[in-house]
Amino acid sequence: MAHQGETSHHAAPGAGHTEEETTTTGINHRKLLMWVFLSSDCLFFGSLIATYMVYRGQSLVGPYPDSIIDVPITTISTFVLLCSSFAMVQALSATNANNQKGIQLWLLATAFLGVIFIGFQMYEFYAFLKEGLRIDTNLFGATFFTLTGFHGAHVTLGIVWLLGLFFVARKGRLGPRTALDVEIAGLYWHFVDIVWIVIFTLVYLIGGFDSGPSATISIPIDPSILGFLG
Amino acid sequence: MSSPAAHTSRHPSFKQYVAIAIFLFAITIVEFLIILPEGFRGQGWTIAPLSILSAIKFAAVIFFYMHLKFDNRLLTWIFLGGLALGFAVTFALIGLFSAFTPSPRPYAQANAVAFEHAAESEGEHVETPADAESPEPKPEPADSSPTQPAPAAASDSLAAEGQAVFTGAGICMTCHTIEGVPGAVGVIGPDLTHIATEAATRKPGMSAEEYLYESIQEPEIFIAEGVERALPGLMTDAIVSGLTDADVDALVVFLLAQE
Repeated sequence: MAHQGETSHHAAPGAGHTEEETTTTGINHRKLLMWVFLSSDCLFFGSLIATYMVYRGQSLVGPYPDSIIDVPITTISTFVLLCSSFAMVQALSATNANNQKGIQLWLLATAFLGVIFIGFQMYEFYAFLKEGLRIDTNLFGATFFTLTGFHGAHVTLGIVWLLGLFFVARKGRLGPRTALDVEIAGLYWHFVDIVWIVIFTLVYLIGGFDSGPSATISIPIDPSILGFLG
Repeated sequence: MSSPAAHTSRHPSFKQYVAIAIFLFAITIVEFLIILPEGFRGQGWTIAPLSILSAIKFAAVIFFYMHLKFDNRLLTWIFLGGLALGFAVTFALIGLFSAFTPSPRPYAQANAVAFEHAAESEGEHVETPADAESPEPKPEPADSSPTQPAPAAASDSLAAEGQAVFTGAGICMTCHTIEGVPGAVGVIGPDLTHIATEAATRKPGMSAEEYLYESIQEPEIFIAEGVERALPGLMTDAIVSGLTDADVDALVVFLLAQE
């Protein structure tokens, strides 16, 4: 194939040296940077998840999760995202094996599955809006859209990244010597997947059946705690 | 360091990747089955198994798909360090907002402000006491209530004082709504938008004024029909005893203007 020939031509000069780069940790700088970023992103999503959990069941007006969350549909979209992670590891394997067709196929498959996932999310957001849940409707809407919206933004960024790599691959510039480019994109993509694993469990499987607050509160409180408001 | 071939061999093989994918699918199906029976949904006991299953999936992805298992240990510590901090932040926030207690939480309820009401009162802004009564003294209708003999101008300033108590020292607006009064959008206690009209008919033989005095000073004596008491005993001495007699007088005049 013409591409194969070009690969060695393009890959030889620029790439390659990344693997032999000397670092004090023995880890490539770009890879280390990606892991540090993912580590910090845990805090980002941690605080969004905490906010969701803090305001769980505190909405005073509907719609509440139990009336609009669709667990079966979201289970399907969760499968789609898991499949995309599988496609991503295949893309890296193909890159290491210098299988040019495989690189393109699996990168495109990963991005495509990501697009399907976003499609599910857009359908869900649209269905929620039609049911009357906006980001400013209640605490559920505010925390739900913020959390899943930021996750969706991460997925969207990943899709753009993967499509970028796909076009690089079409020029035959991806191969064993530039495998790190694919590996780092893969780390980001898998991270987005594991964040969804957590969101799916907390927001859908555990929190998806929450209803509104009951009409009366049985816990008596000391009215003096309101004093500082005056 | 390592040739591409040696590098690849440190990663799982295609078959192993397929096995991991099937493993992840299987766990997701088990999770789905746990919440399939209607009686299991939203039950407290499901949290533990669902969390454990999700943690297993999480670990499978980071150790195999992200090959932390085969990579430099330092990367594992960097990531798990961030993850641990993320967990700490999450639990600290939940704890700080006392969200471990069963919902709904009284604190959040007591400070709730209904969004729609706030928007409406901005737009309408009709019934401030100053607007409600004409500043000019006007001839009293023959059958007017005997409880308001004071000249309108004097009752005006007293009503304004009452509103200040309502939205200030008395913190009444935290729980009660009066349409048109900025900030008075509480939803814990009864709506007082038309309290003057309602008060006159609440208790036979009792004037609106007398009824309001009683309701403020001894709120527990009489609970009007149809009033949902979100927090029994909330409006008690702790709130009312902080008011002087003059405050209460002003408050009653203010409330009598809410017809």
